[in-house]
Amino acid sequence: MGQAPTDRLVAPGTETLSPSLFKELSLHLVKREIDATHRMTVLGWAWPLVRQLVQLAVLVFIFGSVLDLGIDNFPVFVFSGLIAWTWFAAGCGAATASLLEQRHLLVQPRLPPAVLPIVAIVVPLVDVLMALPVLVVLLQVEGGIPATALLIPVLVIAQLLLMSGIAWLTAAGAVFLRDVPNIVAVGLNVLFYLTPVFYGLHTIPQKYAGLLKLNPMATIVSSYRAILLGQPLPGAFAICFSVVISLALLAVGYLTFTRVQNRFVDSL
Amino acid sequence: MTALAAKFEQVWKAYPRWLSGRRSVRSILSPRMRAAGLRSGSRWALQDVSFEVRDGEAVGLIGENGAGKSTLLRLSSGLGHLTRGRILVARDVASVLSLGATLNPDLTGRENTLTTTLLSGVRSAEADRVVADSLAFAELEEFADSPVRSYSDGMKLRLSFGVVAQLHPGLLLLDEVIAVGDMRFREKCMARIEELRRSGTSLLFASHDLDEVAKQCDRALWLEEGKVRRAGEAAEVVDAYRDAMHAETFERTPEPLGQGEGGLVLRENRFGSQEVKIEGVEVRGSASEGVVEPDGTLSVDLRLRRDGSSIENPVVGVSIYRLGDDVNCCDASTDVDDVLLGELAGELSIRFRWEGVELLPGEYVIDVGVYEAGWSFAYDYHWHAYPLKVAGYDGSKAVFRPQKRRWTIERPSR
Repeated sequence: MGQAPTDRLVAPGTETLSPSLFKELSLHLVKREIDATHRMTVLGWAWPLVRQLVQLAVLVFIFGSVLDLGIDNFPVFVFSGLIAWTWFAAGCGAATASLLEQRHLLVQPRLPPAVLPIVAIVVPLVDVLMALPVLVVLLQVEGGIPATALLIPVLVIAQLLLMSGIAWLTAAGAVFLRDVPNIVAVGLNVLFYLTPVFYGLHTIPQKYAGLLKLNPMATIVSSYRAILLGQPLPGAFAICFSVVISLALLAVGYLTFTRVQNRFVDSL
Repeated sequence: MTALAAKFEQVWKAYPRWLSGRRSVRSILSPRMRAAGLRSGSRWALQDVSFEVRDGEAVGLIGENGAGKSTLLRLSSGLGHLTRGRILVARDVASVLSLGATLNPDLTGRENTLTTTLLSGVRSAEADRVVADSLAFAELEEFADSPVRSYSDGMKLRLSFGVVAQLHPGLLLLDEVIAVGDMRFREKCMARIEELRRSGTSLLFASHDLDEVAKQCDRALWLEEGKVRRAGEAAEVVDAYRDAMHAETFERTPEPLGQGEGGLVLRENRFGSQEVKIEGVEVRGSASEGVVEPDGTLSVDLRLRRDGSSIENPVVGVSIYRLGDDVNCCDASTDVDDVLLGELAGELSIRFRWEGVELLPGEYVIDVGVYEAGWSFAYDYHWHAYPLKVAGYDGSKAVFRPQKRRWTIERPSR
């Protein structure tokens, strides 16, 4: 009998990187994306911070002074929500375009394509972290940082899971249907107003508050405020619902993505 | 049984047409519409290709543009999916496929190289050294920190090949990209490939350069419209391909209509489909029209004409034969010398210039031709149509006399 001649042969593209190499590669990709986005600009790394501060100033001016919503400590209230939202919006937008814009990585035979949308959502997280010192200062001014702030990583991971599922779905969808980036843009626009960024769940009519419980981002934003500002936690139903939705999106997103990923190259 | 480096079993690959055209939501959402689209409008890029690359073997892929060479290489490297069939390749396969497609134009050469290096399975601890070696091989250290968008095609090729040159793949896949490099770098690549081959790397590469395939490869695979037309020993397949080209050219040559122009008669000493015409040929020697002195300069000016829609990258060739015994003394082509003509529409003048003609004095005759980009047939070929005389007298029967020659005499010193 002897050794079958095809023993050392594999179907192309199935030979994957070892876990440790995969980790090194992912870190490298995140780093190179961050480098690439801030290159060629005078302000460079300061831009994400500038963007967030300008949006904060506008929201604080409009809803703190022009249309006063009557919320205490309004700047820090808005900012804590805005940071989470900015990450969500920037991440989902970038993930949707990630495969279309990174064709050069998709045609690298050994790259597992599922890593690209994830890199796209991690990069804006780094940008958002730039704003963290500002938040810390604001919190200090308003009366100190509560011990519950240590729970932030839990929320970040929860949001990362939610975003990952969405990212895989929209990134894969955009390859086959170029309308998807537009749909995502419209969706984010609507969702911005359906997420309590510049208002609180307790400041809106009760019948609508129930509706917002179906928006996982509303739950996440409210939770950030709960642990940072001592606001009430969202209800048990809202939290359970968000967890279920996030995990469902994660599973559906990953399975869909890996199912169609070998068609990407032919469709780009 | 010999071990294999790659195995193709009845490989079929279709590109659905709707991928390139307009798509409706229905065609995306409904599987039935999609299947129908695939049936009615799909283009088969590969049909029933079965082939094996044995361990340590070099296999050349030849065929016209669009015959499926690149598709086969892409599928072998794991890009895209097969419609039917199976491909198996060595675990440690490496490839240089489309030019610059894997490079991010905003990032520098060094950064891009680092990504490719990590993707090739090099640990980040070693990556810096491999990147430095790659850049050194590519001779791009000076430009390593400039964005890739500022690179020429040749530089991009060097960058892509630089990494592969540091690896020891079991199977190396090369598309025709290697042709864009300058002659010297190409030699360097070929030398490196030769080294890899000696250490056991198998090679599968697509090329237009039939001589190179015949010389470098053990076997060749000739693809025609996605099907295997012939597979076997490289020299044999290349000969068959050339014969088919001559037959195809003759077939495509129109019937002569009356008296030809300038002594050229179709199907007698002028062949080809006439889709591109060689309208004027001037043979200028350093002595006078059609006469060149030994070590003088010869130039052959061709005026090409294409009526109607443009034709991409035709190949121009000039060959010199010795009158009497018909020895082929010189065979030059834009393809072998990596000169791209680009889109041809209307008129184009092209000059072949040879400084220091080393041919011995005597009577010669020149053939000129313009061919389809994959050498599958000639558009226009003028056979033995232009006389060339090398002035002077030499009784030798040799073909040439080296120009830079020198005799050195050493006497034993006392």
